[in-house]
Amino acid sequence: MMNNVNKYSKKIALSFALLILANTSPHAENVSLERTSHSTKKVSDIIDQANLASYYAGEDGSTEARMIIVDENGNRQMRQFTILRKDEKDLGDQHMLVFFSQPSNVKDTVFRVEKQLAEDDNRWLFLPALDLVKRISAGDKRTSFVGSHFYYEDVSGRNPIEDNFTLVSEDKDTYVISATPKDPQSVEFSRYTVKIDKSNFLPMETTYFDQSQQAIRKMTVLEVKNIDGIPTVMKSRISNLSNNSYTEMQFRRVKYNLGLPDNIFSERSMRTPPKAWLN
Amino acid sequence: MRPTDTQGSILNYQRLLNFAIAKPKVIYSIVLMLAVLSLAMLPQITIDTDPENMLSQDAPARVFHNKIKTDFLMRDMIVVGLVSDTSVFTPETLTTIAQLTNNILLIDGVIKQDLLSLNVVDNISQLTDEQGVNQGVLFEYLMKTAPTTTQASIEIQQAVKRLPMLDNTLVSGDDKAVAIYVPIIAKDQSYIIAEKIRALATKLPAIEQNHLAFHITGLPVAEDQFGYEMFVQMGVAAPLAGLAIFLLLWLFFRNFALIIAPMVVAMSTVVIIMGSLIGLGFTVHIMSSMIAIFLMPIAVVDSVHILSEFADRFKSGDDAAKTIKKVMGHLYKPMLFTSITSAVGFYSLMLTPIPPVKVFGAFIGSGILLAFVLTITYIPAYIARMKPETLAKLQRAVALMEEKGRLANMLEQLGIFSVKRSKLILVAFIALFAVSVVGVNRIIINDNPVNWFKADHEIRLADKVLNQHFAGTYDAWLVFSNNNTEQQTALDNFSKVLNGANNSLAKTTISQAYQQWLSNNESSKVSFFNQDLLITIDDFSFSASEKEQPWLEQLYKISEQANNAQKTFTDPKMLNWLAKLQTAIVNQGDVGKINSLTDIVSTVNRELNSGDDKDFAIPQSSNGVAQTLLQFQSSHRPHDLWHFVSQDYQRTLLWLQMNSGDNQHMANVVSWVDNYINKNPPPVDVTHQWAGKSYLNVVWQDAMVSGMIDSLLSSFVVVFFIMVILFRSLKYGLLAMLPLTFTITMIYGLVGWFGKAYDMPIAVLSALTLGLSIDFAIHFLQRVRELDVEQQSLRLALKAMFQEPSRAIARNAIVIAIGFTPLLLSPLMPYITVGFFLASIMILSALVTLVLLPAILTLLARGNDKSTTKI
Repeated sequence: MMNNVNKYSKKIALSFALLILANTSPHAENVSLERTSHSTKKVSDIIDQANLASYYAGEDGSTEARMIIVDENGNRQMRQFTILRKDEKDLGDQHMLVFFSQPSNVKDTVFRVEKQLAEDDNRWLFLPALDLVKRISAGDKRTSFVGSHFYYEDVSGRNPIEDNFTLVSEDKDTYVISATPKDPQSVEFSRYTVKIDKSNFLPMETTYFDQSQQAIRKMTVLEVKNIDGIPTVMKSRISNLSNNSYTEMQFRRVKYNLGLPDNIFSERSMRTPPKAWLN
Repeated sequence: MRPTDTQGSILNYQRLLNFAIAKPKVIYSIVLMLAVLSLAMLPQITIDTDPENMLSQDAPARVFHNKIKTDFLMRDMIVVGLVSDTSVFTPETLTTIAQLTNNILLIDGVIKQDLLSLNVVDNISQLTDEQGVNQGVLFEYLMKTAPTTTQASIEIQQAVKRLPMLDNTLVSGDDKAVAIYVPIIAKDQSYIIAEKIRALATKLPAIEQNHLAFHITGLPVAEDQFGYEMFVQMGVAAPLAGLAIFLLLWLFFRNFALIIAPMVVAMSTVVIIMGSLIGLGFTVHIMSSMIAIFLMPIAVVDSVHILSEFADRFKSGDDAAKTIKKVMGHLYKPMLFTSITSAVGFYSLMLTPIPPVKVFGAFIGSGILLAFVLTITYIPAYIARMKPETLAKLQRAVALMEEKGRLANMLEQLGIFSVKRSKLILVAFIALFAVSVVGVNRIIINDNPVNWFKADHEIRLADKVLNQHFAGTYDAWLVFSNNNTEQQTALDNFSKVLNGANNSLAKTTISQAYQQWLSNNESSKVSFFNQDLLITIDDFSFSASEKEQPWLEQLYKISEQANNAQKTFTDPKMLNWLAKLQTAIVNQGDVGKINSLTDIVSTVNRELNSGDDKDFAIPQSSNGVAQTLLQFQSSHRPHDLWHFVSQDYQRTLLWLQMNSGDNQHMANVVSWVDNYINKNPPPVDVTHQWAGKSYLNVVWQDAMVSGMIDSLLSSFVVVFFIMVILFRSLKYGLLAMLPLTFTITMIYGLVGWFGKAYDMPIAVLSALTLGLSIDFAIHFLQRVRELDVEQQSLRLALKAMFQEPSRAIARNAIVIAIGFTPLLLSPLMPYITVGFFLASIMILSALVTLVLLPAILTLLARGNDKSTTKI
């Protein structure tokens, strides 16, 4: 059954990518439009642009990230890491490296990701203390990113092909879009709504609802900054609404279009980090 | 030799009595007003069944328990079990589990993220391709959706066996039972949630079709269910006790108009006491729920005395008011003394450190005094107003009662026997006493809240079945904390760097934090180098100028290293020591299983490496442990980790699953662990402390045993002094103490010989016995002395004693004993225990009084001077 889903999504992802290339969007079987609004855009275009703004800024990029994880008792934990990213093409596959620096007992732990729209991502892990590079495979992408409230999918980007989108409302600043998963079994939510800023197409708030229509999880963008003309989320938060625990992720030293060479996105870089690109 | 009246109190009472007789309506109105006021309080009732409340809010063990519960996010759990005759690893059973789990997850009050069931937990395993070549490590839900094939079901079975955290916790070792652990937001919702789960189970036809037995247990359910049944119990048993007493009174007096008076006294006492208990904001605990049943029989006893004596003295045509005044003058003092001594017995319970027992003692003690006040005012007022016809009827009834019946004959025989066989009796009693003392020494101190239900109760059955299959449904937590060693070098370096920095907001803020920590260093043992400090420094590195970065970086480095150095529970030496301790505890036998950090680390480490058993081990460095845990946290349930280790890695929690809730087993484990740690000291300086419900039960039980001894001894002394004052005689004081001493020893000897565990209800019996059985001794000795003076012969006095006076004592014993028997009908064990023992205590202490006292009096008289019988 899993295979079927994969095949199905593969096909759709492929056609999706082709259509993006052609810069037309006539395939509306899965994306609908609210006729009542004065929207000038199709919902699929909005989603694509949002995806682009969120995960594909520049040709490549690097950033230092700091996560503060706050539990329901208010205890705080900090994790720091540097991300290097390079896109194969916009809205396409991506390469990613995550180098941990803090806390010092996980320093030099590295994640490497080959994000693939057409199939499951390839993921590797390097644990310096165990001197071990291991390929990791996950049943789904909604597992915690190193103990935080961010899921792996929040960091790498959820494939739009997984959901059906509806434009719920629109005002001069914001689109409000509702999304329902095509395979409800694959996720922990029944739907989510996302508010997208019209000026930069960044999703500013995403709320996830459970089967009983209760809001369970929320992503909020807390700070946006222009970096080299690219509106960039500098601080965001994901909260667990059931117990008010949350994680804040902050970025600093964000750089775009560095010209990262392809060959650094390799197993070699996991054991020997490309220092030149990490400072 | 008659004890002299304390004139003052008598005179005062005389005035009160005159007033009551002259203005009965005032008395009626006051009683009515108080009763109505108290009735108005009753709806505010809050039931409390939490055994935790056996300890006061600020008891150190309880404070620690709750701190651990909060810090480690340990929840109150309902345990749902499905038991199959064969294996649970079939597509049908697994589908049923998944359905039931999904439905339970929708119930309000269930903490979804902490629920444990096969379809919400993660698996970590090796990924191999078709050729069997290792492709890496696979993180996924163990069973996102239930399998459809037998093969897939068996794969899940095999996966569970490889996950020590789940094996024998979620699925039993014999594969015949599967559990769902349902964490709930508040204990007091567990009954409602349990009911909802039961309803969900009945709506799942698959459970029956697949021959699955459904069970539900867990301490919160037991407690809450107990509260519910306690409420029902109070509504049933108290009125039944009232009815039993009413029928007995009718049997004695055959006059409804008359027996209404003692019933009014009993009802008003119960209503006023319960009303004020609730009105004063006390919760109704299992102990206080018995107050009504206790007070009712005790409250009518004095009235029975008055009515009997009044009927004795009243002749047709007499002035009822005058007669009652005489009766009251005569009875006032013994009633006062018996009431005071009974009250003292109960008040002494306030010396125990157990809050519900204190409340119980205080309100029953006060209830007894209130009943006394009501009796000496309301009863005379009522009788003085009675119509002559009714009074005539009363006389006939009393005459009927005085006629010789079986009871009277038996008592007469008993009297002859006691006097004739005095030596034999004394020897027998001494022998009995010795046997009882041996029995007392055999007493096993033990309690288990689940055993508060009868053996055939659904909770007891579930408890039995689930604990047969699983490692155990009773929790105890063993918490290790590192003893913060002073990190003086790091502190010195820190302040050096800080002082060297140029003035800035960063410097000021960090210095302030440092000074603040220095100033309360002694009171709080929290390390300075915590996450908050690191975050503060790092925050400044976001905003501070370039110039400041170097010293901020230095400061951060020093702090981070110091912080890292404190992470005792990533230290492989420590974890290996813990793993050994765990194995040793389980081998000891009382603990079914231990879940802990070491299992998590070893399991993840195994899968990160080969996946073979040889890699089920703690990594060789602290960093290795930390990196393993970072992987564990990349799961669907990263927060599971924080149940076993604190986020600063300075404390760890071992979750012990025990298959018995007996305090005894818990106490064994506690002392065994102490012993083990003494012999095998940990590699790092750590302290260990216990928490968890099973452990709390041990703590309050210990407090109760020592508290009860204090309570018993002090009330014994107080009552003894009261007796000496009452009888103005040391000898009579001592004699008065004999029946209760024998009774208490025999009752507890019986408990010891029968192997009945010394639990909470048994513990409070001592005070009750003391308070109640002294009554008989007082009445007996007082009357014997009076008769002795009258008859000028102890022999004759004793003969007379076994006429009317002994019948009064026997009657009262019967009233109280029968009044308590509705407790025997209860579905809850503590009520049954109390009911059974109280009835036995009443009968036993009446017998002891009637047999032992005459025997000793006879022997003493013989020893003194055979010719004179004066005492």
